[in-house]
Amino acid sequence: MSAYFPTMGLEIHAELLTKSKVFCTCSAEFGGTPNSRCCPVCSGLPGTLPVLNQKAVEYIIKAGYVMNCDISRFTKWDRKNYFYPDLPKAYQISQMPRPVCLSGTVNINVNGVDKIIRINRIHLEEDAGKLVHDDVNRISLADYNRCGVPLIEIVTEPDFHSADEVIAFIEKIKLLLQYAGICDCKMEQGSIRCDVNISIAPKGSTELGTRTELKNLNSLKAIARAIEVEIERQEELLENGERVIQQTRRFNEQLGETTAMRSKEDAHDYRYFPDPDIPPIIFTEEELEAIKSSIPELPEQRVERYVNEYGIKKADADIIVGNKTICDFFDAAISEYNNPKAVANYIIGELMNRINRGEADMENLKFGGAKFAQLVEFMQTDKISQANAKTILREMIENGGSPKDIADRDDLWIKEDNDLLAKVVDEIIANNPKPVEQYKNGDQKVFGFFMGQANKALKGAASPKAIQEYIRKKLGE
Amino acid sequence: MYDYIQKKGYVYMAVELKTIEHLCELSKLDYDEEGMKKVMGEMSDIIDLMDEIKEFDLTYDDTKDGNEIRFGDTREDVPEESFPTDKLLANAENTDGCYVVPKVVE
Amino acid sequence: MDIKRAKIRDLRNALDNKEISAAELCGEYFKRIEAVDPQLLSYITVTKDKAMKDAENAQKIIDAGKSAPLTGIPLAVKDNICIDGVKTTCASKMLENFIPPYNATVIDKLNEQGYVLLGRASMDEFAMGGSTQTSAFAKTKNPYDLESVPGGSSGGSAAAVGASLAPAALGSDTGGSIRQPSSFCGVTGIKPTYGRVSRYGLVAFASSLDQIGPICNDARDCAIMLNAICGHDRHDATSANVDTPDFTEKLGQPINGLKIALPKEFFSDAVDETVKSCVLDAAKELEKRGAALVDCSMPGLKYAIPAYYLIACAEAASNLSRFDGIKYGFRGEGRTFEELIRDSRSRGFGEEVKRRILLGNYALSSGYYDAYYKKALALKQEIIKEYNDIFEIADVILTPTAPTPAYKIGAQDNDPVKMYQADICTVTVNIAKLPGISTTCGYTADDGLPIGMSIIGKRFDEQTILQVADAFEQGFMTIAPKL
Repeated sequence: MSAYFPTMGLEIHAELLTKSKVFCTCSAEFGGTPNSRCCPVCSGLPGTLPVLNQKAVEYIIKAGYVMNCDISRFTKWDRKNYFYPDLPKAYQISQMPRPVCLSGTVNINVNGVDKIIRINRIHLEEDAGKLVHDDVNRISLADYNRCGVPLIEIVTEPDFHSADEVIAFIEKIKLLLQYAGICDCKMEQGSIRCDVNISIAPKGSTELGTRTELKNLNSLKAIARAIEVEIERQEELLENGERVIQQTRRFNEQLGETTAMRSKEDAHDYRYFPDPDIPPIIFTEEELEAIKSSIPELPEQRVERYVNEYGIKKADADIIVGNKTICDFFDAAISEYNNPKAVANYIIGELMNRINRGEADMENLKFGGAKFAQLVEFMQTDKISQANAKTILREMIENGGSPKDIADRDDLWIKEDNDLLAKVVDEIIANNPKPVEQYKNGDQKVFGFFMGQANKALKGAASPKAIQEYIRKKLGE
Repeated sequence: MYDYIQKKGYVYMAVELKTIEHLCELSKLDYDEEGMKKVMGEMSDIIDLMDEIKEFDLTYDDTKDGNEIRFGDTREDVPEESFPTDKLLANAENTDGCYVVPKVVE
Repeated sequence: MDIKRAKIRDLRNALDNKEISAAELCGEYFKRIEAVDPQLLSYITVTKDKAMKDAENAQKIIDAGKSAPLTGIPLAVKDNICIDGVKTTCASKMLENFIPPYNATVIDKLNEQGYVLLGRASMDEFAMGGSTQTSAFAKTKNPYDLESVPGGSSGGSAAAVGASLAPAALGSDTGGSIRQPSSFCGVTGIKPTYGRVSRYGLVAFASSLDQIGPICNDARDCAIMLNAICGHDRHDATSANVDTPDFTEKLGQPINGLKIALPKEFFSDAVDETVKSCVLDAAKELEKRGAALVDCSMPGLKYAIPAYYLIACAEAASNLSRFDGIKYGFRGEGRTFEELIRDSRSRGFGEEVKRRILLGNYALSSGYYDAYYKKALALKQEIIKEYNDIFEIADVILTPTAPTPAYKIGAQDNDPVKMYQADICTVTVNIAKLPGISTTCGYTADDGLPIGMSIIGKRFDEQTILQVADAFEQGFMTIAPKL
């Protein structure tokens, strides 16, 4: 056991799902050839002026509400001044003394234990551009397509003491932002990014140690690993009687180590001051109320509704709601076939199983919830056998298509062919006198043997119910 | 390098050399020795003039500027066509649709 | 046609009555520019080819009988207002070759009327100065005395109008940059209420203070120009969403009963005796026509210069940070980004611009922010309050435009403090976002240099200050320079 305990705080940046950028009308969509989603404003041409996007303000207010923050009735914008080639105006429009959201809370659950994480503030700002480094020619190429994409920065209090808590919190934030329709939270595209402030102190100490800030964390895995590595590094320093230096450190995923970034941190003086180009905003209670009431159903309420209205097990509801894509898929499915339990079971039991095995990718499924629901319905109403349903699902995953078309094409329907049923079962009974004998002597277990034999031979030509009834009838004679 | 300051150490200056050097750092401006000497003198006089405001004892209330707008006065989120890349880059050294920046040293 | 001190409305009649074509008219101005500007240096760029095309388009509109007030009227535009495809230098080596790819909103508005661009008027570098002597390209002279300054920063615009090298011009005013050169060059210039004219496309000096406005031969022409350029702009969040009245509406109406305030601090010892008596004479003249003079006080004026320079330079330091040699403008040398940006800025900016950047960063830097910048904002609130108090008892305020008439070139060199203090009469108008107009109220006895007075109005009440300035002008004999 280590003699130290870690304390962490997070700064999470999330890009908002607005159609246009925060201060100009360029598209905020990801991608595009370099500098194709730019205009004189976001390229920082002299004389241009920012004009604030209403939707971005609406989204940060929603973010504030879903994290139980106080929403400021008066908010304003500031300039954060620093020189960097990805920042064409040489200042980032951000918020300093009067952010939109202050002091909130978010509940997390780590290994069954509930915990409250306090939010210090959430403010709105603009994203910077992208630099591609050309080491051969010793130049960098600047692309401003991302310049001016709206971002919210969520700053937590130093309430985390383990990587598990951090991961649980980020997962919770991702879900909240996704369900509120604020951010798509694609870490791999950088639409949500996280910096971790981390310090360690001897156990029992009430004072925090000197902190470092970890940057360049591109996945949850990287975050967990970086925290682990950084705690070890700090422990080693303290054990050797050295000091932790307050600095920004970059995590190198390949090497699994953090390294100090060569930046003159102490020379940074951002000279924040109110941006004279953007007037402060005041909100009325009615405006805030309207925004609050437009927030879609959040994950916790959704789980509750699934359990109460649909009778789905809490654990299953948690799984479905725990992934927005799956949850949307589920909703689409039950609006096609109103049997939530059966749909949920087949999603969890069959579809997710295949996803976990890497056979399917939820983000790029070739079919929607409605088609999936049809398959479940066919199975539930004895139109397709379970075995054939699996075959059809595999086909849908590989090539798409509708379950009906696939069943038609590959002749996978249950046909209720009573003549064939009688012929096959009669033959099985005739050929197996010993089990028949056993059954008649009261050994119910052999019934399964007959069912298996019949199913195998009939290949879905009769429904399980029909087979069962016929076998019972025959053996009872 | 700026030993004239030490030599003339008796001269009153409202600002110290290291302050001006810090301002040059923040401003990304360089001066040669002559220029530095001159600008120090000028900045010292200017800051003396600015210091007059310190006598004034009222505090600023940022909510009382009266220039705020209503939430509804902000811009609607409707994207418009962007600008031609070549026109944006026309005043810049560029390649492959990007601005060319000398290597950034972190 | 004699274009000396020709008014926009005279030119309008001449064009509409086919006494002269639009092309001939701008030809007349180019003739004068070629003859006079080599000494006066009011233009940085003369846009003859574009002017001829502009004139051709304007002529079609005139021939179709669809003239707007400015159709075919040749204008000079200060070199800090972006015009698509036309070099816009801000009189700085930094932007020596900068060609904006877009139009300022005021230019779009002038284009709608079919104006003709004569060229780009010189100015103090990035509008920082009051003499046009910090221009990197054309250190303009005063049309009344080629050894004196034309004022600034819109010195090129004012000198061009004063010397009849343009019938009117656009300038910009951050702390007096339209009014003070107008007074030095014997013309009329108005700084509209902050938010009245879109700033989109005006290369920013101090965003909370900058405002574009016209410099003309008289208040009536100013009203015509204002009608063309005012209005809410969706590209400028600080442009006011208020109705634009017809600014010519109150011109010629009697000023009976109008209350004119004279704050005593504007007539202190800091102001030349000649200027003081000239402005007070003008006040008496207005009184004769039925206006009532009201005594009042503005104690906050004492701190106006530091407050103004702290706010303006803080904003300027940030606004001018974008000039790094990468995206546009002068690109210095350097193997790294850091080296390149330092070299570009150190060699691209002139000395006054650099001083103001240093001052601005001083005011904003950690440890100084509260003592300087925040204090300046507190003073801004105080000055607004004091103006409001005066407007409780008066309709307009009358002050000198500058403490002195035009001074000799070189007289304020190497003395930034003296230069800053000379802005005392104008800066509070920008701080309080008010409209102010300067018009000539006399000439010095010894060398005939113009003296200007300023009329300051309530927010968005340009109509009344135009009315008062016009009332004075109607009884005043202007003297054109000999040039």
